[in-house]
Amino acid sequence: MIVFAASDKGGTGRSVTSANLAYHRALAGDDVCYLDFDFGSPTAAAVFDVPDARQAAEDRGLHSYLIGEVGEPLRIDVWSDTEHRVLRNRPPGSGRLVLMPGDLSGGEFATGEENLRRCVDLLLRLNGEFDLIVVDLSAGRSYAVDMVLEATSKREMRGVDFRWLVFHRWTRQHVAAAASLVFGKRGIVAGGVARGHDEDALRSVIRFVRAAVPDPESPLWSQVSATQSAWMRECDRDLKQMSSALGIGYTQVLGSVPLEPVLQWREQLITDEDVLDSQIATRETWDALSDLAGRLTDDKYWEQA
Amino acid sequence: MAATGRTAPAVLVCGETRTCLLPSFQALDGRAAAQLLRLRADEQVSVSERPNLYALSPELLTGVDCRLPTANGAKVRAVGTVASRAALTEGRVLQASAWFSVPSAGPDTRRPWGHYLVRPGLVEPFGKLPEQATAQGVLRGSSRGELDLGMIAEGLLAQLLRHPLLDHKAPFKSRRTHLRWVARRAPAGEGASLERFTLAEDGLRTVELSLPEETPATAAVGLCEDLALHDWLLTTLVHMLDNSRLGAVDGPSAVLALRPAVDHLLHLWMPQAHVERTLGRLWDVLEREPGFTRQWQTLVQRIRDQLAVQAIPLLHEALSTR
Amino acid sequence: MTEAVFQETTAQPRTQSVPLSHLSLELGHLYMEDFEAGPERLREHFAEVRIWVDAARAAAARRTGGRRPRISTCFLIDDYFTRFSTPAELVPVVLAEAERAGLVIDYLARESGCAVADKIEPAESVMHRLVESPPPGSYGSRPPVSETGWLPNGQRTPTSRSAMGEVTGWQPPQETAARNHSVFMDVELWSEKDGQRLWSCPFLAAVWQLARLGLLRHLGAPVLAPRPWNGGDFPHDWDLLPPLLQLNASAAPFSAYRTCTLMPNRFLAVEDAVRLILDQVDVDSGALRQVAERSAREGAAVPAAVAQRATYVFYEEPTDAVLHGET
Repeated sequence: MIVFAASDKGGTGRSVTSANLAYHRALAGDDVCYLDFDFGSPTAAAVFDVPDARQAAEDRGLHSYLIGEVGEPLRIDVWSDTEHRVLRNRPPGSGRLVLMPGDLSGGEFATGEENLRRCVDLLLRLNGEFDLIVVDLSAGRSYAVDMVLEATSKREMRGVDFRWLVFHRWTRQHVAAAASLVFGKRGIVAGGVARGHDEDALRSVIRFVRAAVPDPESPLWSQVSATQSAWMRECDRDLKQMSSALGIGYTQVLGSVPLEPVLQWREQLITDEDVLDSQIATRETWDALSDLAGRLTDDKYWEQA
Repeated sequence: MAATGRTAPAVLVCGETRTCLLPSFQALDGRAAAQLLRLRADEQVSVSERPNLYALSPELLTGVDCRLPTANGAKVRAVGTVASRAALTEGRVLQASAWFSVPSAGPDTRRPWGHYLVRPGLVEPFGKLPEQATAQGVLRGSSRGELDLGMIAEGLLAQLLRHPLLDHKAPFKSRRTHLRWVARRAPAGEGASLERFTLAEDGLRTVELSLPEETPATAAVGLCEDLALHDWLLTTLVHMLDNSRLGAVDGPSAVLALRPAVDHLLHLWMPQAHVERTLGRLWDVLEREPGFTRQWQTLVQRIRDQLAVQAIPLLHEALSTR
Repeated sequence: MTEAVFQETTAQPRTQSVPLSHLSLELGHLYMEDFEAGPERLREHFAEVRIWVDAARAAAARRTGGRRPRISTCFLIDDYFTRFSTPAELVPVVLAEAERAGLVIDYLARESGCAVADKIEPAESVMHRLVESPPPGSYGSRPPVSETGWLPNGQRTPTSRSAMGEVTGWQPPQETAARNHSVFMDVELWSEKDGQRLWSCPFLAAVWQLARLGLLRHLGAPVLAPRPWNGGDFPHDWDLLPPLLQLNASAAPFSAYRTCTLMPNRFLAVEDAVRLILDQVDVDSGALRQVAERSAREGAAVPAAVAQRATYVFYEEPTDAVLHGET
């Protein structure tokens, strides 16, 4: 299964959240590979805390592979190469967790036939090896989005299951932008159909993830005044209505991730130790990530609405 | 190691074999295997049915003009063709190999391309070949810009993986292995020998051979493919047993996890099935130590025992409901 | 080593040999527009060709040391790029005009036979056998010819790729076998339209050369085997005409150690492209060996490079003024 992580704009926590999903699946025993297709600003090395890899990927990363300069993109075994204190101890029963970083000096590039072929080759190859492949895509309607839309429309990829997660923040502007990224005139669905995807089939493999959602019921907000609290509830209600109207309502949502300072500021994997011992991250966040990770492959959440 | 034409005889053969599970729900039969490996429309795919189903593609050539990988950093330009081929065993395990032979010395200028085309699989160095450094360089792996056997083998695998016959619904996930090998020329009068087999990390294995001058390069390729195939089988089965967490989780689910091994792997063990007779005995040293077949049989026995143990309650149930 | 007791026929390849002449002499390689110009054009063509035919025969005889060389003649009609008239209408005209010039056409071929002949596809097979001459710095990246359909004789001008990447000035292409200066050439081997592949004229011409040189095989068997003509009428559909028809029952074998092609000088660029292609084809090694051994035995050893076995005479094309002799 390939999961493409897209977002309408930057700042949705797409990279860090999808990295956490990869981590949760590896903990559960899956062999997982995380591909950093955010060519403009590769950040995955930082999220997984593998600083050496960042240097090593200088000219051997996905970017160099896709333009044909190296035969294989660099692979980093996160369990063994991370400097993260907790991650270094690979739990028994966990699966492999491999990162394929982007090049430090990558940059966006126009996709040609050859890049596309290499992209297909890579995805086919990883599909034989990993239970889950998470592909983190540059924000917006980017070359990376185009490339994977095109790649997945190829005959060779017909047998490979893939799903899309579209991350957006819980604000009016972000909700509107996410809807437009997917359903807009130049959106993912239209772009996919133009490349030969079946519209219904494509729609059925796209789900939204609401990021940085302040939960009015959360203890975080227990101190706010009654007026503030009422206002928050109203905003939340309005946003839900708006989402529904734009076609990204409840049935299209795979899950929500609470507003979590650790995700926003540290931009790293949240481990159980962050929740249990140092308690810098909340239980709700951990559970939300865990649920989301489970739902990635739970067909119940992907039935057509 | 014979080569045609007015070229010094090869003193070194270097190769890499990549082995993976065929990404297809069902194993391919002989006809389909021949279709998959039809890399040249006008050349026969060789298909053997005894002692197991084994299909071998025609050889392809890739032109190279670049530095040879050398362990000591010596810069040696070489020009020629690298040969490659693919093999499919029992319609299940796919292998791609790339290899080249090198003579001890070559001309200092590049010749017309036709000169190299009629010497398939031969790469000629400019000047004298640093034999030892090149052998070590190949085993260590190429730096950027150096002759890259892995890239050629991978390119062939990728081409095959795009074939419409493959549905990419493999019955289980598995890793590839890369086996890099070098064969030096044995001193006159000495027979073939397997000098070293090294198990490295990330699925990399290296093999060092010593072969008499008259041994064709393709015989060495065949031997190394056979070694790579069986090493992959061991590697994959061990990984499956690890993942099944036999003993840690309850019986039925562990057995379920091992089911693909029974369906797809256990019947594949057959060392030397397609190795030239003169090289077949090179397996002997691996059978003595570490004992490839011994380990395989132990793993197989373990799986069969588990299946038997799981069957007892079912049997019991069946008997009690009579 | 003793022979193995157990054998499987599907596991052992072998290459059949073909009969070979000393020279395959092509009397014309004409396109539909040449026929459209009427029998005068053909007459003019054969009259010109006749002069060079005698020269080519003399050159072949010199090579065989005075012994009478086996020479077969052939004529190629394009029915691949455009369809015009019918064999029943056209072939007799060609034969009559050749005869008028004192020429005998031994074999008649259809160009589409180089693409598809008797249910096999020689062009596709040759495409699979392209092994690009690597420009310096090639270390094993997949040759892109099968993807792009273009075959160069060197290194193309690099294209800039990445946004925000380094901006470099124009760099010249480079011929790999250049002597001081490059003559860079890039040959289009096919184009695709509506999912259909259209082979280019130079590529089919390269296949045609390989056929004439006796170097094409399909699963070890000869390709484009000549079919005898029973002397009856020619069919009304090009597809019903055998790809290679033997018109002269007593002709020397179609394939030969060497070829000589007589054609108007406007084909020069096409045939230069043919040489570029032939230089990068990994020819069936069994066929190559058979030809080399037999030619050597006959004292007419062929050059190692296949492209060197093909010679040409490019003659000045008759102008319309010459054809019509007035206005």
